[in-house]
Amino acid sequence: MNLFQSVTSALDNSLAKDPTAVIFGEDVAFGGVFRCTVGLRDKYGKDRVFNTPLCEQGIVGFGIGIAVTGATAIAEIQFADYIFPAFDQIVNEAAKYRYRSGDLFNCGSLTIRSPWGCVGHGALYHSQSPEAFFAHCPGIKVVIPRSPFQAKGLLLSCIEDKNPCIFFEPKILYRAAAEEVPIEPYNIPLSQAEVIQEGSDVTLVAWGTQVHVIREVASMAKEKLGVSCEVIDLRTIIPWDVDTICKSVIKTGRLLISHEAPLTGGFASEISSTVQEECFLNLEAPISRVCGYDTPFPHIFEPFYIPDKWKCYDALRKMINY
Amino acid sequence: MAVAIAAARVWRLNRGLSQAALLLLRQPGARGLARSHPPRQQQQFSSLDDKPQFPGASAEFIDKLEFIQPNVISGIPIYRVMDRQGQIINPSEDPHLPKEKVLKLYKSMTLLNTMDRILYESQRQGRISFYMTNYGEEGTHVGSAAALDNTDLVFGQYREAGVLMYRDYPLELFMAQCYGNISDLGKGRQMPVHYGCKERHFVTISSPLATQIPQAVGAAYAAKRANANRVVICYFGEGAASEGDAHAGFNFAATLECPIIFFCRNNGYAISTPTSEQYRGDGIAARGPGYGIMSIRVDGNDVFAVYNATKEARRRAVAENQPFLIEAMTYRIGHHSTSDDSSAYRSVDEVNYWDKQDHPISRLRHYLLSQGWWDEKQEKAWRKQSRRKVMEAFEQAERKPKPNPNLLFSDVYQEMPAQLRKQQESLARHLQTYGEHYPLDHFDK
Repeated sequence: MNLFQSVTSALDNSLAKDPTAVIFGEDVAFGGVFRCTVGLRDKYGKDRVFNTPLCEQGIVGFGIGIAVTGATAIAEIQFADYIFPAFDQIVNEAAKYRYRSGDLFNCGSLTIRSPWGCVGHGALYHSQSPEAFFAHCPGIKVVIPRSPFQAKGLLLSCIEDKNPCIFFEPKILYRAAAEEVPIEPYNIPLSQAEVIQEGSDVTLVAWGTQVHVIREVASMAKEKLGVSCEVIDLRTIIPWDVDTICKSVIKTGRLLISHEAPLTGGFASEISSTVQEECFLNLEAPISRVCGYDTPFPHIFEPFYIPDKWKCYDALRKMINY
Repeated sequence: MAVAIAAARVWRLNRGLSQAALLLLRQPGARGLARSHPPRQQQQFSSLDDKPQFPGASAEFIDKLEFIQPNVISGIPIYRVMDRQGQIINPSEDPHLPKEKVLKLYKSMTLLNTMDRILYESQRQGRISFYMTNYGEEGTHVGSAAALDNTDLVFGQYREAGVLMYRDYPLELFMAQCYGNISDLGKGRQMPVHYGCKERHFVTISSPLATQIPQAVGAAYAAKRANANRVVICYFGEGAASEGDAHAGFNFAATLECPIIFFCRNNGYAISTPTSEQYRGDGIAARGPGYGIMSIRVDGNDVFAVYNATKEARRRAVAENQPFLIEAMTYRIGHHSTSDDSSAYRSVDEVNYWDKQDHPISRLRHYLLSQGWWDEKQEKAWRKQSRRKVMEAFEQAERKPKPNPNLLFSDVYQEMPAQLRKQQESLARHLQTYGEHYPLDHFDK
């Protein structure tokens, strides 16, 4: 399956298992602009897979309300770039529902899915990675898969998790990535980073599409510099797996974090800050962040904007030679 | 035919209604013979008639350039059952509620009024940090609450304490929330008047305005799917109705066919902002037809009018799976909150008029007196009793400790994340050394 098919499979499993589960958002009825919901309306009915009016604050608010009654709400925001009208509902409402009510009420059965990240030509409003805005919000979980197999397991965990979750799907991988994905349901735990390649000299951390970039950088480092890299996919942005990252840095002494989102205030800064607190004496070099520039995401200049393997490789080389 | 259409249009314009509203009002009304508004059908393409084919509207062509004039001088009329002296105007509209129910309405309103006075004072004295009274709007709360089933889900804004009072939420718990003491079910997390009660199906209040509106719609959708025979009621003020979330909620409710009552308390002010600065159309009721929503405007200070409208809206919302909009006209007699002094933006005369001449409590009292169900002696006894009950609850709430500071950290997620637990431990260690600088004596150990 490719990534959009693995998402469909997860949604199919959810609706089959949980009679209260519903999927809604703009254009989900005919299958969705990225084909993630193809076939589900025919299979489960128009009361369970349906279009909403074009209104993100409504989609998320509506989803919260469904979840408050205990039913499972799976909302789609068509592009992560358009999630901002729903920011108030997510941050002020969904994230705080359980806390502010003293656990009398919650919207834990809400999951918001949204296409995320660069796609080659998306420009300002079809390329954004807004995870950092939500990282600053206790009460929600933010999850980003790197592959079809990861996507299905993580999405199922988000849907079943008793807290409101945002699941960002790297749109550039929807068709590009393909691998063996079981048809039956399975879960991948949240808040657990995955060491996808062990190494001894440098720790490389990323999430989503960028995991593939740093994996390639690890090969380049091995080949050109004889450097052994430990490659980690963070997977859950919040609550994030501090222990796995720190354990790795204690071993290697060097950390490079990379994301497409702009450098300033990007999630790499949170990781960097925590790691220097926890692992200060283990560090052999300053922590390196290779990120997008502090600009809106450009159209024609995308090849120059993105933190590609050459920029990551160069930063790694400087860290080794520090 | 053309003459009839023209005449209908003139009548419609004078009424300040759009064509859609006319369609909705034309359906046999309150006594329930109407069908729900059918979904828009696409026109067949086979016809040779010169009829519009647009998917976006079901309408005739017109060859005269004419803008629809919004009519705010003769707005949607205000339904009432009692006059300002509590006398039934049209006997066929009298809901003939039994004595016990009317007494419950009266006692809920007056007990709320008494609690409001005491808690407002307690803020002035520095005993609680903040308070909002419900003066003048008690009728909107109990009239609507009485028309619902006890299990109907309530989403409120912040000035609906009478709904909880009618559902017998104990004084002890109102006070506990305001004091943030150890009995507060909300665990002391929010400012006063942010009540919530799972048992009584009253979703916890939050400060951001209108956020509850699309949420209520989602809850109604889920209730519909569950065949729960439940309505959801969503309260909000005329100010909150300006928020984007209100527009979102109305549109979703109509398109997704949700059994929901939108109940707008139009009390004339959003803090200091009068309605003339809040909207330019005919209030909130006139917006309903724009969304395809059955709408009505009622006298919010007339408990029976509120009751009748809510009762019928509930019946039809559940039976027909469609939203209803009730705009209850009323007046905010009190300040917006203890942080407000409304003499800065309105005259004492204006406030006094409503307090003395058109108050839901006095109107219902006149009704009770004329029925022979109440008298001065009972009034005096009840005032004394309700004051005593409130004072007792108040004194007890004052004496109770606050919850353990560990409760600062729980319920952020269902399970406490490792990093948060570390922060909790860090505070505990901090208090071991610096505890004397913190008000630990008032908190549960």
